[in-house]
Amino acid sequence: MKKTSGIVLMAFFACLLTGTLSFAECLDNQQIYRSEHTLLYSESAPLEEGYTAGLDKSKASSKEPSADVSPFLFASSVAVKGKGAPSRSKRSSEHLVLAQVEPKEEFQDGNDLETIADPLESINRAIYHFNDKLYFWLLKPVATGYKAVTPEKVRVGMKNVFYNLAFPIRFVNCLLQAKGKAACDEFVRFFTNSTIGMGGFLDVASNKLELKKYNEDLGQTLGAYGAGPGFFINWPIFGPSSVRDTFGSAGDAFLEPLNYMIPKSKYRIPVGAYNTINKTSLSIGEYESLKKAALDPYTAIRDAYYQYRRAQIRE
Amino acid sequence: MHRRYFFWVALSLSLLFTGSPPALAGMPTEKIKETTNEILAIVTVPDRKDVPLNAEMKKKIRKAVDKRFDWEEMARRSLARHWKERTEQEKTQFVVLFGQLLERTYLDKVEGYSGEKVVYLGESIDDNYAVVNVKIITAKNEEIDVAYRLRQKGNDWLVYDISVAGVSLVNNYRVQFNSIITRSSYASLVERLKEKIAPD
Repeated sequence: MKKTSGIVLMAFFACLLTGTLSFAECLDNQQIYRSEHTLLYSESAPLEEGYTAGLDKSKASSKEPSADVSPFLFASSVAVKGKGAPSRSKRSSEHLVLAQVEPKEEFQDGNDLETIADPLESINRAIYHFNDKLYFWLLKPVATGYKAVTPEKVRVGMKNVFYNLAFPIRFVNCLLQAKGKAACDEFVRFFTNSTIGMGGFLDVASNKLELKKYNEDLGQTLGAYGAGPGFFINWPIFGPSSVRDTFGSAGDAFLEPLNYMIPKSKYRIPVGAYNTINKTSLSIGEYESLKKAALDPYTAIRDAYYQYRRAQIRE
Repeated sequence: MHRRYFFWVALSLSLLFTGSPPALAGMPTEKIKETTNEILAIVTVPDRKDVPLNAEMKKKIRKAVDKRFDWEEMARRSLARHWKERTEQEKTQFVVLFGQLLERTYLDKVEGYSGEKVVYLGESIDDNYAVVNVKIITAKNEEIDVAYRLRQKGNDWLVYDISVAGVSLVNNYRVQFNSIITRSSYASLVERLKEKIAPD
């Protein structure tokens, strides 16, 4: 066990080292990127070309809903094909293609029922009820009390700290998906937030540098390589997941610095619990709102989870 | 000499292209902006913060939303293959009920509006279908991507689906309705709809 953690740590520092070496280059590229960005924004002509280019591409693509998608990014965009190894096409800065999520066929046909398989539905439903009670009887009261005594800035700051610490997961998965720019950006975010941002407390990278977050994880990487979600699993406490995403979370746990920073395993649960309470305190009301809008909350959550992950993988 | 000539040709060609795009290209976004601004004007009254909307405001918002949303199309798509099996009377009833459910949900969400910024990212049009991409930036600097799907009806563009963070509203309801219809019945779906809409 000690040997594996040692190796992972070394890999982590190797990444850090290579990252630092290219840090200066990254910063230079940021300048170039940002000036291209502003140039694009003010020109309307390339936009027209970009639209037709994007539309033609989607018409020519296969009928599979997962096969075409051009995600919306402002400068270079990356296209991911559904099955098999991902193929990337980097467009030149002139072509701005915005979310054209479905091929023309799906625009017109409203009759498909594409959703995640749920062979364990009765068990999942039971666990849904358990999690529901857990939220209302335990998590929400504690989070509400915590919210009342802790200023919002502190809570947001702590959320940023935990988010910042999960950098290796995002970094490695960006690399695994050959998203070089994303990996670069994530590194710059981590570096600036950890130093100027006081250990991640202040999200300087978002506020001052206006860097986008690339929240990649192993489940998305597996999805990008063509792995379907499998079937729906609703975990007690942890909530909705799928076969693929469960493997993904297990894999990501090896990259989670918290697991290495906290030497005594008996402290990991309280820290994890605090993280959950803190995050919940910032989003009280969202779960209730979802339940209010849904006729069948369990199915609503299951389908929302499926669609959300699918959209994340496409990005 | 050649280079100068080339330069002028390129310049004039680019001027041609930077001229105004075809009149319809910006229409879907304009329609969304129109409705959004209308509703924001109703909701952002100076001392309204944390005060629930009064009946007058709700009526105005309903009217604004009614103009922009194609309830029948949304209802049809959310029932999917169960739509064909319904009688005309059932269809009409369902469209009304579903519209009321969405209105109610929307009103609840709009009530919680607290100065979020709306950024229009762009649109794409394919025949008489369009997608308008929007980003909502909350006070805590969180960004939420929203996509409106519109269909052209005569001279107007009406919304038939909204995707928030990639989750399509119509798809989500479709799965729910299908689950309820297959596990119990269409009648029980109508019952649950009525229960949901009834004011609490």
